Amino acid sequence: MLKRLTLILLAVVLFSAGASAQAKVQNVVTSEYNRNSVSFVAVQRGDTYDSTVNSVVTGFNPGQKFDINKIQTGTVSVRKARSESLYRSEIDAAVAGIPFGREILASIFNRDASGMMDDNIVRYRGNYDAKDQDVINARASRVGVEALGDMGHRLVGSSYLIAIDFYGVKSEKDKKGNVTWSTSAVAYAYKIGMSMDSLNDFYEKCWIYEDDSPAVREAKRRAFSEFPVDMNPVASSSNSASGKKNPASAMSACLSGLITGLENSIDEWEVAVAISARKPLRAKIGTKEGLKNGDRYRAYSYTEDASGRLVSVPRGFIRATEISDNIGMAMGETEPSEFYQISGIANVDEGWTIKQSNDLRIGASAAVRLGGFCSGASLMFDFDYIMDVKTNGTMQYLLANLGFDLASLGVSNVQIGAGYAYAWHLSRFFEVAPYGAVILDHLSPFSSFSSSESEYTFLERSAFALEPGVRATFSMAYPLQIYAKAFYDLLLQTGSYYRDYNNGMGAQKHKNDLGFQFGVKWTF
Amino acid sequence: MDILNRNNMKRVSLIALTLLLSISAVTLNAQNNRDRKKSFQSWDNYEITTEKVGVDGTKFVKVWGFAKNVDAAVMQAKKNAVHACIFRGLPGSETAMATPAICPNPNTLEANNDYFQNFFAAGGPWLAYVNMTTDGVPSGTDRRQVKGGYKVGIYVQVMYDNLKRKLEADGIARKLSSGF
Repeated sequence: MLKRLTLILLAVVLFSAGASAQAKVQNVVTSEYNRNSVSFVAVQRGDTYDSTVNSVVTGFNPGQKFDINKIQTGTVSVRKARSESLYRSEIDAAVAGIPFGREILASIFNRDASGMMDDNIVRYRGNYDAKDQDVINARASRVGVEALGDMGHRLVGSSYLIAIDFYGVKSEKDKKGNVTWSTSAVAYAYKIGMSMDSLNDFYEKCWIYEDDSPAVREAKRRAFSEFPVDMNPVASSSNSASGKKNPASAMSACLSGLITGLENSIDEWEVAVAISARKPLRAKIGTKEGLKNGDRYRAYSYTEDASGRLVSVPRGFIRATEISDNIGMAMGETEPSEFYQISGIANVDEGWTIKQSNDLRIGASAAVRLGGFCSGASLMFDFDYIMDVKTNGTMQYLLANLGFDLASLGVSNVQIGAGYAYAWHLSRFFEVAPYGAVILDHLSPFSSFSSSESEYTFLERSAFALEPGVRATFSMAYPLQIYAKAFYDLLLQTGSYYRDYNNGMGAQKHKNDLGFQFGVKWTF
Repeated sequence: MDILNRNNMKRVSLIALTLLLSISAVTLNAQNNRDRKKSFQSWDNYEITTEKVGVDGTKFVKVWGFAKNVDAAVMQAKKNAVHACIFRGLPGSETAMATPAICPNPNTLEANNDYFQNFFAAGGPWLAYVNMTTDGVPSGTDRRQVKGGYKVGIYVQVMYDNLKRKLEADGIARKLSSGF
């Protein structure tokens, strides 16, 4: 009986494996990308920070990537103590209580007090969003380039409302009496519920024409005030900032991070385009899409599965290098930006799609260090931040590190360093980076090591070292890399306590010496 | 003994059933692959859509082609566009009416085989009646790597009126006025 069941099960599994390969539905990444428009509203909690929040949100510019819909209502109220974050249901209810959808339509169609509207903004946005292919297509068709403005109508459905809430706003005073501020922030994104059908319905019911009679005009005004436009919650993102001089600067510091967070959550916000040339890699995006040096994109090629269904295949990552200024209307010959491929077995090819894939550009690594000013082994945590990427593969890094001498005798040791590296890519898998760093080497007896150490004592227990070196990194499976460093530690200035503790360490004494480091690195 | 035989028979039947189902799954896939390969290689099997109403005397279409590399697939797609205008006609779309074939008679190709062999030869006269309007190379989802090569979709402007006049002048297509 058991055998029979096994055989039947096997038959079913084998048969269904063949069938399921055909039935599988896959999400296909495409190079379709159109501009989105946003409106920002500040969440008011009914406290003294409300005016600051309002001015920070009102003054925020999300950059060239988005069009702005200037709506009448700039705030939404939720009566809850600012020490607590909001529940999604609370902000959803508050947003639903205000006709933001109609306000967005009124903004886009420039609706005046008499209810008259025009499509100037829509047509402008349609022209501004048009790609080179759209322009070429328009020239080849009878409607001509004049019709490009019509494409703006489909952009109405790409309107978003972003409600920004700040909570946990607090200040801290240090020993010297300096006050710093910190805050947490959440951005709640809502998308307008306007399909092309409902937009046509809107035109039919609410659009007032010059020759409409007063009665018709009144009916259309009433229809507009009752026209249902939902704002549908689509995503949220959070961020926080600290160490700022005042509440406004702490709040401002959160904002760009909130937009990046939303970009990662809202697929339509991620820029996608096709590679237009190789050697160097080029694509027709630039400042208009908010592209910045070092921005990361993922490349995809396309194939068809056995059933003829389209499948997108991820092929590696690239970073933006030279950014073209493409602000203005497309004329069919948009200047492309340049990119450098940082991962992937295959070379990214002409015609492949690249899609925005934000990262922090921060590499974090754990490593073992042998030698240098420590005689034994040290445990190191290295961090690097990509400052700049060039089309030829050179990169500039800011470095930071934190280390612990595992072999120090009778004292605890912390090494804190900062530096700069200039890297060459011999291939996209192999990077060589000469670097220089300044390291603070701190020794303190186990019994007295504490954060309450005075500044004088801290410096007397420390030495400054200069570390020139070279780092070689090999990309195993991006973003995982392994690396090795060779360096020379040169102790420059030593505190009096440092010298005493160091002399007491005998053979483990910190000194000028050559060292090596081996570690693994992950890029976030 | 009978029971043993019956058990053996059942086991054999089940194994046979398992094999049969497995083979059928594999052959189904193989059949699909063969069908697809055949469909790519067939002259008559290509997709074409009318994009918009073209400027006077032209047709503006999106057409697909298949070949071993992208350049050859682009060339095949352009050839397909001319082929469609002559023999298949162009389908209508939301923004454009359907266009009838220049040579609606299904026997035209066979009856004028030598003419069309020469017309569609590499570098032949057909090239004068088609312009590719794709920006750069076929890209994104219009460039698909499939078994045996590439399948590409391109935007093409066919000089329909000129093509029609050429075929009429060569006696391949009948002038509308010829019936009166």
